[in-house]
Formats: sequence, C-alpha cells, structure tokens
Amino acid sequence: MSVGDSNPAAVPSPVQDVQGDDRWMSQHTRFVLECKDKEPDVLFVGDSMVQLLHQYEVWQELFSPLHALSFGIGGDTTSHVLWRLQNGELENITPKVVVVWVGTNNHEHTVEQIVGGIQAIVHLINTCQPQAKVVVLGLLPRGERPNPLREKNAEVNRVLRASLPRLGSVQFLDVGSGFVQSDGTISTHDMFDFLHLTPAGYAAIAKPLHDLLLQLLEETPEESRPILA
Amino acid sequence: MPHVAADVLVSPLGARRVAVGDPSPVRHHRFVSDSKDKEPEVLFVGDSLVQLLHQFEIWRELFSPLHALNFGMGGDCTQHVLWRLQNGELDHINPKIIVLWVGTNNHGDTAEQVAEGIGAIVKLIHSKQPTARVLILGLLPRGKSPNALRVKNARVNQLVQEALPSLPGASFLDVDPGFVHSDGTISHHDMYDYLHLTRAGYATVCQPIHTRLLAMLEQHKI
Repeated sequence: MSVGDSNPAAVPSPVQDVQGDDRWMSQHTRFVLECKDKEPDVLFVGDSMVQLLHQYEVWQELFSPLHALSFGIGGDTTSHVLWRLQNGELENITPKVVVVWVGTNNHEHTVEQIVGGIQAIVHLINTCQPQAKVVVLGLLPRGERPNPLREKNAEVNRVLRASLPRLGSVQFLDVGSGFVQSDGTISTHDMFDFLHLTPAGYAAIAKPLHDLLLQLLEETPEESRPILA
Repeated sequence: MPHVAADVLVSPLGARRVAVGDPSPVRHHRFVSDSKDKEPEVLFVGDSLVQLLHQFEIWRELFSPLHALNFGMGGDCTQHVLWRLQNGELDHINPKIIVLWVGTNNHGDTAEQVAEGIGAIVKLIHSKQPTARVLILGLLPRGKSPNALRVKNARVNQLVQEALPSLPGASFLDVDPGFVHSDGTISHHDMYDYLHLTRAGYATVCQPIHTRLLAMLEQHKI
C-alpha cells in the first residue's frame, strides 16, 4: 500500500527557482558534495531550524565534536527534504544517527499529511541507511500568542509520538515544552520572530538533544557498521 | 494603478503573509512599543540581513555600545519598511543615525523601482526626523554563481548613489568586501545559503559600518 501518491506532503519535490539565483539547488549540490568528502556520525536534515542551528556557537560546542553534518534549508517542507534525501544527500555516507526536523513550513498540508510526510522520510532513511538510528524532533510552538499553527504543530507531535515507535529504530524527541510561558506567550529571547530560535533558544533545546545523541552513539557497536563495497 | 516599490500598500502585511498566526504584525507592534521605551542613538531598519545581525555576538560587541536598536524583519521589501516607519516605528524616538538596509527581497520590482523605494524611505525619515542622518547600506551580491539578481542589486546600488544629491541627510556605504571570488562564486563560509551572512560574513561587513557610525557620531557632536 502506498499513500505517497495521495499525500502531497510525501511526494518528493525540489524547490523551483523563482527568485533567479538558484540558491536552493546550490545548497543541495553542496550537501551532495559534502557526502562525498565527509564521514559524519550524525546527520541533521530539515528546514531553517536545522540551518540556523549550524550558524550559532552551540553547533561548534556540542555537535561538531560528534562529527555532525547539517543539511538544513530554510523554507523546506517534508516534500523538499524527501527529494533531497532521494537525490544524493544520503549517498556515500553511513551515519550512526540521523536527526530529522521538518514540518513547520507545511502550510498547505493537514496534520495527517505532514505526519505521513515525516513517516515517508523516516522510511526512506531506514531503507537507505539501515544502520542509522533516527531521531525525529517535535515541531516547536510558534507565534507570540496562542494561534492555530501552535495547535497544528502540537497535533503533529501527538500523532508522531504515538505512531513512530512502530517504524523501527526511531525515536521522537519533543524539545519544545519550555517555550510557551504561563501567560501563553513566547518570548523574543527564545524566538526572535516567534518562529526562529535565538542562540538562547537553541541552547535550551541543544542540551536534551545532545544527551540523547551521546546515548545513541554509545549504543551503536562498531561491529554493526556495514562493510562498504 | 501599477504596483510601485515606493507606494505604501493599503494592507501590505495582509497582502504578503498567508499563514494564520504569522508573527510579522506582532513584531511590528513590538518595535513600536520599543520606540516608546528606548532612546536609541542609532536605529537599524531593514530586512533579514538586519534582523539576523541582532542574533550574533558582534551586535553586542560593536553596536550595543552605540545604543542601537534593531528593527529588522525577514522578508521585508521597501514597501514594508516604508509602511512600518509610517506606522509608529519612528515615533517617540530621536536617533541620530538610521541605518537602512533593504531592497534584496523586492523580487516584483525593477532596479529603478527599488531605488525609488529606498529614496521614498529616506524622504519619509527626513520628514519625520529632520535632524537624523540616514546611512544607506549597499545591497550585497547573492547566489552561488553569477546571476541576474547580482546584476540587479548592483544596479540598485548605482542608482541610489546617483540619487544621493536629492536625498536629504543621506549617505551610502558599500559593505561588500569582495564576497564574489575570482571564479565568480560566493562561498558558503560567508553566506550559508548564498544570501544570508554567516558569523564570519557579518564580521567582515560590520567593521566598515562600525567605523562609519563612529565617524558620523563624532561629527554630530560638533
């Protein structure tokens, strides 16, 4: 049974260059090249949440030492990440862990479709990288005050949390629980535009993620690495 | 009525933003309330290149000591900045210098229209803040390889500089240190997505801005 055809969020598709400087494809091409040069133990893939993490000091402090690579592109939906992973960003590497963080930009899709898109990404990783453990990060709340997108993202998280364990060596990690304050607002100290994290915001989510990665990396025995042909 | 980058749109925020719960009107309100509480000497206003600058250490090192405020908003075009400045972000403050960095997102406009839009912003600032000086930052090149947007941004810069004699209180600063290498490429070490600056990219760009601001503030004292 394939729901890929009927779920647009699970149909791989590249971003078309409408602005005129072809930046999305340039970034994808660079990521494919990095796969040829580098041997990451941890691969981060997703949207601007992943992309911006790579720009702050916390990346150098916590994730670089784990031999991590970052393949995030701002604005990406599940369809875009799926396309990138199918077109070279999983080739020539054998990471021990893949961190997936995408879904908050899927504005045209329903909760069920977004979940299906994320599941399709996980399934692809399981197929191409059977040795890798997958960590799916929950979507963060967004907007200064309570709004429909917060509810939507929370619902995606609820469904993912319930359904992911059935997909093999996959973990769901919700790092968004500290951001909504008691009055229902999100602070610009954590998200400078109520969507993207500040360095302080990243510091808060990096700790639990880093702890989980350390644990997963310790669990993977060297013997289980596939022998490259 | 043809769309012009210098027009104030009736509902620019509604026209551009689609997602419900979008942060931009709220961010604008926050800037307006900031302008009631704070007394900046320098105000940075523009798009994501301004907004993201605020997230790096270099802001605290170089610009906080100058009592600077940051009213950058990702995705903004000249029309959006014009609207924001007309609708509260210039009220209640009296900055000596306004740093303006906008234009790279004006995809629907020609280089001439973008330059006019920048001119319209300068004139608006002058009408609201006659003693403030405006430092217009040049648009940076973008994209990994040579492309039409690089040509357009360079043309905007040229037109703005030509228009300076008619722009009261304004000066122009080209902050491109030479991001385009001899092979025509821009490095991801400077722009991680060939548009937005990395920490290293900002370090290079901010030095001349800081130097110019110090000189302008020094002149102001006389």
